[in-house]
Amino acid sequence: MSLTRIRLLVWKEFLQLRRDPLLLRLLLLMPIIQLVGFGYVVSVDVRNLPTAVVDLDQTVVSRQLESSFTASGYFLVVARPDAETQLTSLLDTGVAKVALVIPQGTQDLLARGQTAPVGIVVDGSDSQIASVGSGYAAQAIARFNASRTAAFTGSLQAPGIDARTRVVFNPTLDPINTMIPGLVAAILMISLMSIMSQAVVRERESGTLEQMFVTPIRPSEYLIGKVAPYALLAVAQLSVVAAIGMLWFKVPFNGSVWVVFVGLALFLLISVGLGLLVSLISRTRQQAQQALVFIMIPTMVLSGFIFPIESMPEAIQPLTYAVPLRYALTVLRGSFVKGSGFEALATPLWAMVGFAIVIFGAAVIATRRRIAE
Amino acid sequence: MAITGASPAAPAVSTQGLTRRFGDVVAVDGVDLVVQRGAVFGLLGPDGAGKSTLIRMLATVLLPDAGEALVLGHSTASEASAITGRIGYMSQRFSMYPDLTVAENLDFFATVRGVPKQVRRERSAALLDSMGLAEFGGRQARHLSGGMKQKLMLATTLMHEPELLLLDEPTTGVDPVSRREFWRVLAGLHRGGTTVVVATPYMDEAERCSAIAFLQDGRIQQQGTPEEITALVPGTLVEVSGADPRAALAALADLPGVGSPHVFGEVVRVLWEGSLASVEGAITTHLRAAGFPTVRVTPTRVDMETAFAVLAEAGR
Repeated sequence: MSLTRIRLLVWKEFLQLRRDPLLLRLLLLMPIIQLVGFGYVVSVDVRNLPTAVVDLDQTVVSRQLESSFTASGYFLVVARPDAETQLTSLLDTGVAKVALVIPQGTQDLLARGQTAPVGIVVDGSDSQIASVGSGYAAQAIARFNASRTAAFTGSLQAPGIDARTRVVFNPTLDPINTMIPGLVAAILMISLMSIMSQAVVRERESGTLEQMFVTPIRPSEYLIGKVAPYALLAVAQLSVVAAIGMLWFKVPFNGSVWVVFVGLALFLLISVGLGLLVSLISRTRQQAQQALVFIMIPTMVLSGFIFPIESMPEAIQPLTYAVPLRYALTVLRGSFVKGSGFEALATPLWAMVGFAIVIFGAAVIATRRRIAE
Repeated sequence: MAITGASPAAPAVSTQGLTRRFGDVVAVDGVDLVVQRGAVFGLLGPDGAGKSTLIRMLATVLLPDAGEALVLGHSTASEASAITGRIGYMSQRFSMYPDLTVAENLDFFATVRGVPKQVRRERSAALLDSMGLAEFGGRQARHLSGGMKQKLMLATTLMHEPELLLLDEPTTGVDPVSRREFWRVLAGLHRGGTTVVVATPYMDEAERCSAIAFLQDGRIQQQGTPEEITALVPGTLVEVSGADPRAALAALADLPGVGSPHVFGEVVRVLWEGSLASVEGAITTHLRAAGFPTVRVTPTRVDMETAFAVLAEAGR
């Protein structure tokens, strides 16, 4: 292993990167544009959620509560059924996505200084709408409680409405904020893999790979020389994209920076490794691109990035363990939302270490096998 | 054939039963080859004969499926690292970094091979100058013409002053002027003691080699000096002119003593097995009887192209 040779390879790679304006754009500009664009897509149009209100109380308070919902602009009352039993068909048909149920006697309970429970039913089949809907419902109720507390200064102890949110169809919901960390991981993976997958096959096509074998460069040196520049770029890319994701979309961060860093670093290493492997195995650039698509689609579908794993058919669920993005999402969501630490996330972190070892091991073997064509 | 260790007296290349398959195709089939030090060794043969595969195995790029190759006394399979620093390999396709400049390519490949900085500077200046590339040092390799690309590749393989040069069709697709220039550079290297193994489909280039081997279907059909090869051709080569070559060819086919008749431009060439004195009379009489009254018969020197055509035919 010669450091001089590795340094030379890295220098050469940067020299080529600098001469490839498209690559730099692909590496830095594209992920930012994608993040901002997709970020809006995932958080877009949660206003005017079709809402059904079942007002069994029919009092001043119940009407105040309803208006605190509608005033927010997020809820649009589309139906006023007389009984809770009618809700099922409204939600089934999708006429209403959210339902507010105000039980009889709510005003009385509040007047006696007690806590009054109200029901909120959310259609969970669209996790996006559901998570946003329940979030805004909680805010509307908090606002209602706050205004009541302000009106009755001092005289009331713990009065107010207690919302019992029930999600139908899909009970486990991730809040909107988990989308952005996942999006950061997915976008970085796509851009790193697509660039890395071209790195070796381009040299194969230009014949320089063959020329490499007639020099004292060893396979391990060649691999390090290839991976190091892109790993450095990945870190730069990660910092920029993560900063934009957090600042632009104001994603709250509850967890440990180190957990997120270790998780993302491992995941980016896996992405670079997978791209490298694709590049080593492919004979042409087109082949590499096709292999990439072949990997990306199941990754997106099976990782839990788009569809919750719990809602997949049981026969499919074991497949998700073979998707590295699944573990990265677990780490990121756990850390961002729940503030989980290394201990709680040990399993997905070690799983990613395992993936990295397997993938880079395969890459070394693929390089040793050289070019048998 | 006794293959010795890494003594200085070891031939530049020696192979025994060297074989390489690609799927069902046997690209190189049991090749025994010796290239002496200081030789310019021509590896001839048609496209698909296995020249590239053979050269790539000698360059340690491909491993053999069977047999063994010793290059500068070291096994290509087990001691590749003892070989790579001492040889220069020029592949058939352009294999420099297209987005690096001429100077950067030269510098990169020389640095990788451990050539010190001062030496790199001097040699690259001298090489670029001698190949007429001096003013293109700052140009990206992809913007070079075909001939210049080949010269850049040759210069790159020469930066570490290899003892053995392996050139895979270095002049294919290069204009005649650049080809001659290229061979001028090779002749200079030959005088300096470098061993050169060059694959080429051009028979005229074979005449410039000190030894040649003719490869067909992965096997060596003939090997020796150009003189030895042409001496293998039996009889005298004569050219028959003054008649429609295709018609004359058909008429000559049944004349006893005539071998390997073939059309060569405007004339028919045949190998005459009888004596030189009797050839003119025999052929003109025969053709006159066949309706060609005004033919001319001229004995001619056997060139490499004819030699291989004849020998390949005889080998079938």
